[in-house]
Amino acid sequence: MTEHPAIRVDKLNVSFGDSHVVKDLSFTVASGESYGIVGESGSGKSTVLRVLSGLNRDWSGTVEIAGQAQPKVRDKAFYRAVQMVFQDPYGSLHPKKTVDDALAEPLAIHGIDDAEKRIARAMSEVGLPSSFRFRYPHQLSGGQRQRVAIARALVLEPAILLLDEPTSALDVSIQAEVLNLLQALRRERKLTYILVSHDLAVVAHMCQRLLVMQFGQGVEEMSAGTLAARTPRTDYARQLLTASEGFRRG
Amino acid sequence: MSVIEPPLLELDNLRVDFHTPTGIVQAVRGLSFTLGRERLGIVGESGSGKSMTGRAILDLIPPPGLVMADRMTYRGRDLLTMDKRERRKLRGRHISMVMQDPKFSLNPVRTVGDQIAEAYRVHHKASAREAKERSLAMLEQVQIREPARVYELYPHEVSGGMGQRVMIAMMLIAEPDILIADEPTSALDVTVQLQILKILDDLVSQRGMGLIFISHDLHLVQSFCDRVIVMYGGKAMETLPAAELADEAARARRHPYTLGLLGCLPDLDHPKAELATLTRDPAWLA
Repeated sequence: MTEHPAIRVDKLNVSFGDSHVVKDLSFTVASGESYGIVGESGSGKSTVLRVLSGLNRDWSGTVEIAGQAQPKVRDKAFYRAVQMVFQDPYGSLHPKKTVDDALAEPLAIHGIDDAEKRIARAMSEVGLPSSFRFRYPHQLSGGQRQRVAIARALVLEPAILLLDEPTSALDVSIQAEVLNLLQALRRERKLTYILVSHDLAVVAHMCQRLLVMQFGQGVEEMSAGTLAARTPRTDYARQLLTASEGFRRG
Repeated sequence: MSVIEPPLLELDNLRVDFHTPTGIVQAVRGLSFTLGRERLGIVGESGSGKSMTGRAILDLIPPPGLVMADRMTYRGRDLLTMDKRERRKLRGRHISMVMQDPKFSLNPVRTVGDQIAEAYRVHHKASAREAKERSLAMLEQVQIREPARVYELYPHEVSGGMGQRVMIAMMLIAEPDILIADEPTSALDVTVQLQILKILDDLVSQRGMGLIFISHDLHLVQSFCDRVIVMYGGKAMETLPAAELADEAARARRHPYTLGLLGCLPDLDHPKAELATLTRDPAWLA
């Protein structure tokens, strides 16, 4: 029996009214792989994640998780296997819920009874001291909040994490800490990642393969090595690379 | 006989304090620099005081903030003793500021053209018609292809990049000597970001403007600016020529904080298994 890829997307199409934002997109992500999606705003990269996570229910095509075709409305088992971390740690945590509330809620929804142990474990894994457990989001820094968001995703022990610009709202020194944490977690838990980012250096650092998107289409799929060697095939990918190198006079 | 022109801006020991119920928060603690007709970058992480520096120069620090300095001059004129009315006249006319996000800085219920024309008429005696002509010319200067069409658009009808160009047009129409750009391109895509920088760059070289470019992006500042001030905790850790940020040979001369910031960045050319994290030394703020 062959092992199924963790994620397989085939001919995915998404339209919002008249605008066709994802066009015939296909890619597969192997189990334990870290896969990057890069592109400029409006390229459809975040929409792809929202379809994968079940937040967007209006799409056509095939989405398979671990070999199982996914319906538009996902079941509970799906959310135990797939979790998402959002871009803005200021907007993605409920301001009136403590860290403990945020971590306990998914466990209650899924009827898991060793909540106490799991919360403690998730917090120690993301490097938050247990004294933070009853703090509110406003008592935490941006980096700490993003750690809470990652802990919230991990508490259900998913196999797949969908990361939507997880560090773009953070300072570079905090970004380094969060990226190191994500790397270590993937190694220890053999997680599969899809990382959406506009920062090519971050994607090259975190992922083995990546997909460049433009106007809702996959322009080029390449290895991180190709990116580092600056040898993409398509003009658009090259253009994106040049632009990310900074300003050139003349 | 040539007269030596005083520098555009001179700051000596600038401090910005906020007196709060729980104590004094020092946002800027003793910053000094001189600005000529150049591109000066100010980099730092959030809370380093870089934006407060820009606002202090424009007298835009909200209460309970207090601005103090040993010396603060604009072309030799003392800003510290100048009254509020005079400061307001300088603001927008001689010293201008471009903010980060055009979405929140433009009036949503007026056309962008109207807003640019208003900026002109506030500072110059001009008829509505002349102001409109000026505004159209300005839109063209910031490389908007159909100025007449864009003039009539409302802010929600323009893209982020175009909105930022409109902001720049609005700030430059009064022909200021100093432009303070606070993260002018952080909300934009990389390719659009480069177009905006090109416009700013041309304006600095053509008009001989002084540009203060506030950013958290080390790579960008290094490739765009002439000089860079690295700020941390309200203090300048060091001031250096921008090109030296990338210079391996100059590493030994760099402040540990600057090296720390550079070290945290993932780098396409030097892949590493784990990123360095920053250790902050309390002595830096002593």
